[in-house]
Amino acid sequence: MQITKKTKLKGLKKTREIGPLGVVETLRKKKVTGRGGAGFLVAKKWKSVMDTKSDVKYLICNGDEGEPGTFKDKFIIMNNSETLIEGIIIAAETIGAKTVYFYLRGEYVNLRKFLENKIKKVLQKSNSNIEIIVVMGAGAYICGEETAIIKSIEGYRGQPSYKPPFPWQEGLWEKPTVVNNVETFVHVAQALCFKDYNPNLKLYSVSGSVKKPGIYEELSGEKLSKIISKAKPINKPKAIYFGCFGGCKPYKEMKLIPKTICGDDCVHGAASLIVADNKTSAIDMAYIISKFFTHESCGKCTPCREGNIQILLLLKKLRKGEATKKDFELLKELSLHIQETSLCGLGQTSTKHLLNAMKHFKKEFTDLLVKEKGE
Amino acid sequence: MKKIKIKLDGKTISVEENKTILEICKDKGLTIPTLCKQPSLRSEARCRICLVEMDKKLVTSCSTYPSEGSSIVTQTDRVKNARKRNVELIMAHHVGSCTINEDEKNELCSLAKEVGLKTTRFKKVRTYKPTLGSSVIRDDNKCINCGRCVDTCSKIQEVYAIDFAGRGYNEHVSSYFEKNLGETSCIKCGQCIINCPVGAIREKEHLDYVIEELKKKKKHLVVEVAPSIRVSLGDEFGYPVGTNVEGKLVSALRKCGFDKVFDVDLGADMTIMEEASEFLHRLKNGGPFPMITTCCPAWILMMESFYHDLFKNMSSCMSPHEMLGMLTKTYYAKKAGLKKSEIVVVSVMPCTAKKYESTREELHSGVDYVLTTREAAKLIKHFNIDFKKLEDEKFDNPLGVSSGAGTIFGITGGVMEAALRTAYEFGTNEKLKDLEFKSIRGIDGIKTGSVMINDVEIKYAAAHGGANIRKLLKNYKDYHFIEIMACPGGCVGGGGQPIPTTLEIAKIRGQSLYKDDNKDKLRKSHENPVVKKIYKEYLDAPLSPKAHKILHTFYKRRSKF
Repeated sequence: MQITKKTKLKGLKKTREIGPLGVVETLRKKKVTGRGGAGFLVAKKWKSVMDTKSDVKYLICNGDEGEPGTFKDKFIIMNNSETLIEGIIIAAETIGAKTVYFYLRGEYVNLRKFLENKIKKVLQKSNSNIEIIVVMGAGAYICGEETAIIKSIEGYRGQPSYKPPFPWQEGLWEKPTVVNNVETFVHVAQALCFKDYNPNLKLYSVSGSVKKPGIYEELSGEKLSKIISKAKPINKPKAIYFGCFGGCKPYKEMKLIPKTICGDDCVHGAASLIVADNKTSAIDMAYIISKFFTHESCGKCTPCREGNIQILLLLKKLRKGEATKKDFELLKELSLHIQETSLCGLGQTSTKHLLNAMKHFKKEFTDLLVKEKGE
Repeated sequence: MKKIKIKLDGKTISVEENKTILEICKDKGLTIPTLCKQPSLRSEARCRICLVEMDKKLVTSCSTYPSEGSSIVTQTDRVKNARKRNVELIMAHHVGSCTINEDEKNELCSLAKEVGLKTTRFKKVRTYKPTLGSSVIRDDNKCINCGRCVDTCSKIQEVYAIDFAGRGYNEHVSSYFEKNLGETSCIKCGQCIINCPVGAIREKEHLDYVIEELKKKKKHLVVEVAPSIRVSLGDEFGYPVGTNVEGKLVSALRKCGFDKVFDVDLGADMTIMEEASEFLHRLKNGGPFPMITTCCPAWILMMESFYHDLFKNMSSCMSPHEMLGMLTKTYYAKKAGLKKSEIVVVSVMPCTAKKYESTREELHSGVDYVLTTREAAKLIKHFNIDFKKLEDEKFDNPLGVSSGAGTIFGITGGVMEAALRTAYEFGTNEKLKDLEFKSIRGIDGIKTGSVMINDVEIKYAAAHGGANIRKLLKNYKDYHFIEIMACPGGCVGGGGQPIPTTLEIAKIRGQSLYKDDNKDKLRKSHENPVVKKIYKEYLDAPLSPKAHKILHTFYKRRSKF
């Protein structure tokens, strides 16, 4: 696996040789992209902060992986934290940040001590005067969003705000800020260090109805069946869920390319693959995921706050066999509405799974509806 | 500012780069429905009502800045349906808690009408207990989570008494530890009330008690009216903003059944006599400076919670209506041959904090009930009085003659101006040439100036609105005399005023008060014949032991939490 290859501070050494502009140029050439989901070029993000005039700049390492079925950050912290921390130092020295906040997912509290010790060691070895502060999340899914993470570190409620201003303009405490994912920092260090660095290698978290759930490193664009067969499915897979927010798709052969992963209605996202087998009901899955989003909605904007609970109520009704055709139509209308008008990524993607399920497994839904006269 | 070209509803126009779609539409005369947006603050884009279509995507117009070549459509079916759906979702929680008589001011109800909704298909999913307070009451069952109260409390007033708690559909406005507002550091200014679009926050009403007293007619009922009421009550009866309805107000209250209608302007004149004398006393004895005015009970609460080092700087004077209340129950009672217990004093105030003030243990209050401007309008409507057809009448004697100095208490800077008129003449024994202190007028957040009294340059300042107060108090030692009002614009923008009340509206009301002062022949408190008479017959002199006993008070340390 490339991701576990240690760079042993060689990347940092190179950084100090070639200087910030050199680093950005190298990252651009090697096409290092952010691993949070959007696939933004790292060089571009950093350059915009470097070009913004300010006496203080901040760097945030986003270790708040809350996406169900994702556990790659945990894997990295446990297996290659030295390279991760080196990547952070490289980023801080490149953009000119003196303070770095490592936002660790609330549920990973047992990793905190371990991580803090590693940080101390690497900082000592690296002769760097930057400060890395580990901040614990409190368990909110939304705090993985970059504007919400900033609010959370500032001590406010972790709620997203709209952009502009973008974090690179006014981020943490209104200073230019770079927010990058854990996996990204490892890639940064490795890109500077290894000649054979491959930016197309990606970590897939596979879980669900499989015998060997875990992290699989594959090339972007790899065939789905290859990854799933490695994880050894228990029963015949029926559908694949791309985390909760990525939507779902009936199980068939497809290439895992971020942008066009499965047509236009799913999102590749944090590369979480949850396998649902032929014994799983699509409605049960929809219900569970809706419950998750109803719980994790921050409550800020109307469609997500009020809409998701109404969707959950409608699904409850459906499961009881009390829903009518009208309810089914309302479910569709509301899902689309939430997708179109919510403030942040959470709201906009919170009903993707349902829209997909209603399209691909429509029969399961309509079978449960109250039969009307004449049918 | 750089200009860009965009397409708005098919027309190509050139606009400034830093303007949101909402601002651009407003400039072009297009109205877009909004709910959570507050004029002076950055939008949080919570409610998602002000949707428009930009480059085929639905965006909130309050928070979106178009870029070169953007194409914006404001009235398509898609836009209209999306707006309607969001109003419908919001209504799911609100409907069932909404009472009919409050509907006229309910922005959500008018919005529903506007988008063409009669009912909602969605169920109400949560219920709450209303939280109580001595002045401000909140009912989360009506709340629609627009966040205007939270923004007002934290960004305009900088009190931070309320914020959102819970998440998802459980999100609701709350004070810390879900305490009742009365137990928190809420300063009871009521600014959240005038900014709430659905009436989920309101004052603790004294209206029913007052109607009861008026019907029983067992006691001698006295009503006293604050300076700013005369220029704001008209709003409730369809007059243009800032119309002075003093005469009709007096006759309406008399028709309601009050035995006497007194003018708090006189109380203001008394406050000036005491306060100016106190200031000169401090000037003679070397401080402590600055002296800070204490007419505003919300400011007093703010000081007691957040500014413990300012205790020595506070004037010890009661607020004008409390002074008048005390005088009614002592001086007037004696004259009219009544016992203290036979009189009921009702104050009509632009303020919700005055309700709390009348329950303060520190000042055995002479006021029994406090009505806000809104409640006073309800009272007049309750008795089916046709306000517009009333004849103008005058305030009752003996506590009904006032000076222009008392009138301008209703606006920010007014107390300072009135105090300076008297302090100058008391201090120098000379006539003041120009009565109008222009430097202290207007609606700037912080106003400063200076005047010479006996070779000493007196530096004065006035601030209104919590955020400005905090800013001014960072350098409070630079001044001798500071006037502070908690509400933006002073009492004319108070939390008890008719809805809507904005800083712009407050400004117009203030100008109307200045006009009234300008017309007045009596423009200095110490020249008011009634004031002179009260001191001669009853109180001896300003700051006399008797005056101290009746007209002065003290303050109490409170915790921030």
